[in-house]
Amino acid sequence: MLYAGIDAGSRTVKVVFLNARGKAILAQGLVDQGVHQEALARHLFDRLLREKKLDQSRIRKVVATGYGRNQIGFAHATVTEITCQAAGVRFRRPRARTIVDIGGQDSKFIQLDADGSVRDFAMNDRCAAGTGRFLEVTAGRLGMDLSALGEVAQTSRDPARISSMCVVFAETEIVGLLAAGVKPSDIAAGVQRSIAQRIAGMAGRNIAGSVCFTGGVALVPGMVQVLESALKVPVRVVPDPQLTGALGAALLARTGR
Amino acid sequence: MNDRPKTITLEEWEVRYPVLRRRGLVEPRYGGPLCRHVDDGDYRLRKLRYDNSPAALRLWNFLLTEETRLREAKRAGKKLVGTMKDLGTVPVMAYALDNLVAFYPDGAWWIPCIMEMSTGMLEIADSLGINESFCPVRAMLGAFVTQKHFPIPDLLTCSVGAVCDDFSAIAQRLNALGFDILWWEIPHRRKPEPGEPAVVLPGGFKAPKSQVDFVRSELERVRRALEKLAGKPLTREMLQDGIQTANAVRRVLAELRTLAYRSEPCPMPALEMLIAEMLAIHFCSDRAESLDVLTDLLNEVRRRVQKKQGPGRPGAAKIFWVNPVADLQVMNLLEESGGRIAGTEYLFCHALDEIPDRIDPMDALARMALADPMVGPAADRADRICRDVVRFGAEAVLISRIPGASHCAWEGSVIAERVRTRTHLPVLEIEVPPISDAMNPTLRTRFEALVETALKQRKGKTHAVRGH
Repeated sequence: MLYAGIDAGSRTVKVVFLNARGKAILAQGLVDQGVHQEALARHLFDRLLREKKLDQSRIRKVVATGYGRNQIGFAHATVTEITCQAAGVRFRRPRARTIVDIGGQDSKFIQLDADGSVRDFAMNDRCAAGTGRFLEVTAGRLGMDLSALGEVAQTSRDPARISSMCVVFAETEIVGLLAAGVKPSDIAAGVQRSIAQRIAGMAGRNIAGSVCFTGGVALVPGMVQVLESALKVPVRVVPDPQLTGALGAALLARTGR
Repeated sequence: MNDRPKTITLEEWEVRYPVLRRRGLVEPRYGGPLCRHVDDGDYRLRKLRYDNSPAALRLWNFLLTEETRLREAKRAGKKLVGTMKDLGTVPVMAYALDNLVAFYPDGAWWIPCIMEMSTGMLEIADSLGINESFCPVRAMLGAFVTQKHFPIPDLLTCSVGAVCDDFSAIAQRLNALGFDILWWEIPHRRKPEPGEPAVVLPGGFKAPKSQVDFVRSELERVRRALEKLAGKPLTREMLQDGIQTANAVRRVLAELRTLAYRSEPCPMPALEMLIAEMLAIHFCSDRAESLDVLTDLLNEVRRRVQKKQGPGRPGAAKIFWVNPVADLQVMNLLEESGGRIAGTEYLFCHALDEIPDRIDPMDALARMALADPMVGPAADRADRICRDVVRFGAEAVLISRIPGASHCAWEGSVIAERVRTRTHLPVLEIEVPPISDAMNPTLRTRFEALVETALKQRKGKTHAVRGH
């Protein structure tokens, strides 16, 4: 028996297959998001089955999560990212009580009960300033990719102050900073710090113990350090952080939510 | 006539309406098919889901014909009083005089939503320097300028002081455009000092007697203006009658809220309940009819509770809702996401409390005005919310911020923190613009996550009880 989780996020589609006992990840992968979400998910799904020689007829249940979860017609059920991230992180870090998830479009602060269920959560509001989108916009403006942006940010000694609370205004601010001769490394570090401060604002006084960091932005070099600095607690990146949502969905497929 | 409760679209109402007519539906003179309001430009109605009862149809028709009612009243020689920022006090006084009709120009904040931005009202406000950094109630400016959505009132009153800063700024701009306003001041409610003479307000909060006396003196000015406009005195007996009628509306609403928010399954959708609650503050320009409309709705709810029926899904997560939304569609979204309404605090909970009727009527009205949640500390408001969350058995709290509204920027955080600490329930904060279509997926995710969290916690509690 197999269980599958699909996370149709704003930037990428992720798929994870679990074995019958829910203990072993049999296959996992991701592709860039696009217009035809279901076709992309299906293609990745089939490719993983093929590559890992998994028998499709053994699939018992598929759960979809993420921004595009309702587009995945071949999923048997949908569950939100909040619940799936909690399940996925719990699998990786059984003692986790606090999760920060920064994805392409959303950022989330999730608190867990001792049994791993969600106790409370907060999400960014309409603005994308506390999300991976802010890093993408900055990287684009600075002419580099996300990984390079993180590397460059780590060389900064004087992070720029990004005061705007809106990505659109912040982009204008970045243009101004570049025109004023501020180094790209300082701009990149300033943007990372701005995101971390947003997350700290969202978390408020509700941080219990160390923080598990997940979502694609957790892979950006330097983000974990700025987050630790903003939250003032240790922050640990969860293994394969961009896949925890899909992993959680697969786990919930197995347990029937 | 009373089929099984469910929510239906406007198109489905089009089919249902003639069926109800054939079955003998009796309607008031403002009755008729809902879809006719779309022809008047209320395009948003096409995107909403409605309760399928004749009582709900009457409620909607009553709401959507307010402009006609106001114009008819004016033509009949009645004087109109626009009671701005006044959440339920001056209308009680105005309706005590039989030749005055009060309404609530602030209600124009829903027009951009209902008419899907087709009126350009927000653009007019923009052009007057009141841009989107202000609360959507700025649409009211556009309504005054175009004079298309309500007749210009003969008297405009507006409370100032400890009210929303945004609204004061908007009203001042209106004043600068040449609309005379009778301002009356409401001070920030404070706790009485030790030994200071104090008064218990409706809702249970205490205030210094000196503050009540001050508000009373301000309301006396309003009273004199109303008397001048009506051309007759507003006597103590007339005020007492007015208070008793207002209390009758509030009693019906109190029972309606208790039944709707506590019964399982939920007997009435969140959207209709929001509209119903709003009648408490302005009577939708017809006090007597508002009582009949609400009584009709209450009877429908009683019937459903008795039969254990409701339009929503059984076992839905019980959500307590704080602040009204600018986009009505979001109320539907709660139910589509697996939630149901279980208690509300739409910024006018004081207008749902009965007005004291065994004391001097002006004193009673002053006490009620001072009980307004917006004029006191946010912590007071949070305390009342916590109390009602428990009373209605809510499993999660949703705080809807009003974009640009100055009382909401910090108030939401204070309420969220206190509710979390006191009730240990999950709390979600959202912000809803006048048209939220583009945000629908993100709002849905937040609602569904809140529902999942609440249901999971319910399951945990059930297991814990069984374990014992």
